[in-house]
Amino acid sequence: MDAQRILLPYNFSQTDQKALAFIIRTFGSLENTEVTLFHAFTPISEIEASDHQSATAKLKRRLSYLTQELTEREMALQEVCQYLVGKGFGRDRVRYVFKSRKGEKATAIIDQTKEESYDVIVLSHKPGKVTRFFTGSVFTKVVTALKDVTVCIVS
Amino acid sequence: MQTEDRINIDIFKIVTRAIAESNNLEIMAKHLAQLIIGALEIKGATIFATDPETKELEVLGSFGLSIRYMNKGPLYISRSIKSVEKRKAVVVRDVKNSDLLQYSADAIQEGIGAIVSVPIAFSERVIGVLRLYHHEEWDISEQDLDSLFVLAEIIGLAMMYTRMNNAINEVKNIIGDVHEAWLE
Repeated sequence: MDAQRILLPYNFSQTDQKALAFIIRTFGSLENTEVTLFHAFTPISEIEASDHQSATAKLKRRLSYLTQELTEREMALQEVCQYLVGKGFGRDRVRYVFKSRKGEKATAIIDQTKEESYDVIVLSHKPGKVTRFFTGSVFTKVVTALKDVTVCIVS
Repeated sequence: MQTEDRINIDIFKIVTRAIAESNNLEIMAKHLAQLIIGALEIKGATIFATDPETKELEVLGSFGLSIRYMNKGPLYISRSIKSVEKRKAVVVRDVKNSDLLQYSADAIQEGIGAIVSVPIAFSERVIGVLRLYHHEEWDISEQDLDSLFVLAEIIGLAMMYTRMNNAINEVKNIIGDVHEAWLE
């Protein structure tokens, strides 16, 4: 029997931690599962600078320092992988995908699922979030766009 | 401590272009935070949306702050930095000697020395907050504060535009789901 492949979109929020706890509780004791932690980050803003002395050029140089935060996020994602290993998941059953996105969070999750054919997606969902008015619901977009996949919602 | 003006017209053009060119509010908020951090040479920036019922501040986009600090707990507009609710900017120039903050101990642990909070208003209502975090004590210049107010107004327009756009798209999707047979 093929391994059950689980995708956990992870943004380091408290509800994501609940989703992680759900995976440990539900799938931790099963041998035949693989967990992929998925973090799609927003790349550093790109700006054009026509010379080296302008305020724009200085800003561009300062922005390059900000990539450090992305490195720290990737390291934090590796720590979550280690945490899963510590909770009984085999090292070869846990991996992470850390990639940049230029579009919506939901689109990145949908594309990743289609690309690597997951069996289960575990989504965290905080009810009543006002930001959903402005950004749209990741949960709704993912659920309506995918088929032949089980979507678990942790609220 | 800094009092010089840092947001000049070139920086302002870059920042406003980042807002105008983005069709995704979350990415726009994140890029805006990065650009403000770079322009003002500060530690971090966050754009919040305000929940009109609970008065809780929810993060729309942020950069420069640790995961631990971001997860410190719910932020309430009435308890975090009070005057923002009254559409005024609040400058906490020294976090260690201020009683205005909801999570002052967390801010000190994060290495935040000063916080500037600017309301994002639309149609005379506060719909969000632009908050900037500096490593050290900070006297932001009046001109930079004015520039941030203008930016906050543009962010407010972008937020409301996106909200309307989302609503229209949802209506379009619902209408698209109606089968022709149901209309006969």
